[in-house]
Amino acid sequence: MNKQDLLYHYFSNSLTPEQETVFQNLLKTDTEFKAQFEFENHLKKAIKSHENDRLKTTLQDVEREINMPKHHTLFNYKSFAVAASIALLVGWFGYNTFYSINYNSLYDSSFSEYPNTVYTITRSDDENSIEREAFVAYETKNYQIAIEKFDAVPENIQKNYVSFYKAQAYLGMENKEEAKVLFEQIVNENKSFVAESTWYLALIAIKKEDKEMAKIYLESLVNNYTYNKDRAQKLLEELK
Amino acid sequence: MQRVQENITITDLKKGSDLLFRKIYEDNRGKFLNFAKKYHLPHEDIIDIYQDAYIVFYNNVMEGKIVEFTSSISTYLFSIGKYLIFDKMKKNNKTINPDFDLSLIREKEELVDPNIDMDQDSLTTEQILLKRHFATLGKKCQDLLTLFYYRGYSIKDIIDTTDYASENVVKSAKSRCMKTLKERINSN
Repeated sequence: MNKQDLLYHYFSNSLTPEQETVFQNLLKTDTEFKAQFEFENHLKKAIKSHENDRLKTTLQDVEREINMPKHHTLFNYKSFAVAASIALLVGWFGYNTFYSINYNSLYDSSFSEYPNTVYTITRSDDENSIEREAFVAYETKNYQIAIEKFDAVPENIQKNYVSFYKAQAYLGMENKEEAKVLFEQIVNENKSFVAESTWYLALIAIKKEDKEMAKIYLESLVNNYTYNKDRAQKLLEELK
Repeated sequence: MQRVQENITITDLKKGSDLLFRKIYEDNRGKFLNFAKKYHLPHEDIIDIYQDAYIVFYNNVMEGKIVEFTSSISTYLFSIGKYLIFDKMKKNNKTINPDFDLSLIREKEELVDPNIDMDQDSLTTEQILLKRHFATLGKKCQDLLTLFYYRGYSIKDIIDTTDYASENVVKSAKSRCMKTLKERINSN
């Protein structure tokens, strides 16, 4: 193993005890090696600080979103009066557009990709199965590859959850039609992820501005499952 | 996603999903704000501390300092947050609530899991320079070096999770990035 490989293993915490001994000896005896190690160690700290800044910015954005005023469908007398005046000015069409349900915003505020909770991808995992590759692609948002890999999982070893994650990958690619077909199949077959699929079917209906269908899925969720029950209830109120 | 939250593992978090990162932040935010109320700090300071505590927690998971959850995520966040609150109180001696007894402030060892790295050291001049030049690298280089040094990925992990096709491709890409970085520092 050359010196560069030793450094690779050091920074991925994978030095064997024997390599560790060689590594420590080199630090003591080889000034060039020591200088390179120190440079990389400083770089590690610099990158961590850079990453901390990025994480902090992300959290500040999340905080801003949390504090953003919510879209209200109910309005008080005053706002009604203002709205009515606007209606008089711009006509019924303008009024109706102004107060109609904002389906896109409802969808955006409710949608989040379902995390991989079924397949563990560990660093030391040497297994190189198609399913693992599919989830690695899914985790890294390479949805097209994920779909291809999910499709390539042999049917006889295909787990119940594969269809659900394939549907998620389609959603990630904004292909709602394909996602919908798969979610419907899951709900009909009544296997794993039925409640979750019902939730995503409701969201797809919202995105398509199909209020009635969305209400059917949301009511099914509220009446039959605990998954996202409160959120479904809230959405139902917004859709009234 | 009730079912998911209850069973979040180190492995889930280490996958680096932005979604999960955000979800855990949101799920524990209310509990933390409630917990921190008793210290009578301004709301924006508490939010700031919660964010910092969350980042410390996240980094410790990513760097393998927390290898398994011995308590719930909120307990970790309270513990780290409490340390940061006390630290802030010590620094802002004059602004703390007069009713609060400073003698209650104990040492770090008593507050947090001793394995947790609070990482409050400021950067050295060399590290500041490196950070500044790292930020000027292209996105591919930044991503590769971040996977390598921050996430502690092995070359095999990098091949598995990115578009790099082979070990040699990763190694030469990394060495090109390092070369560019060194050149930029030297021309400074």
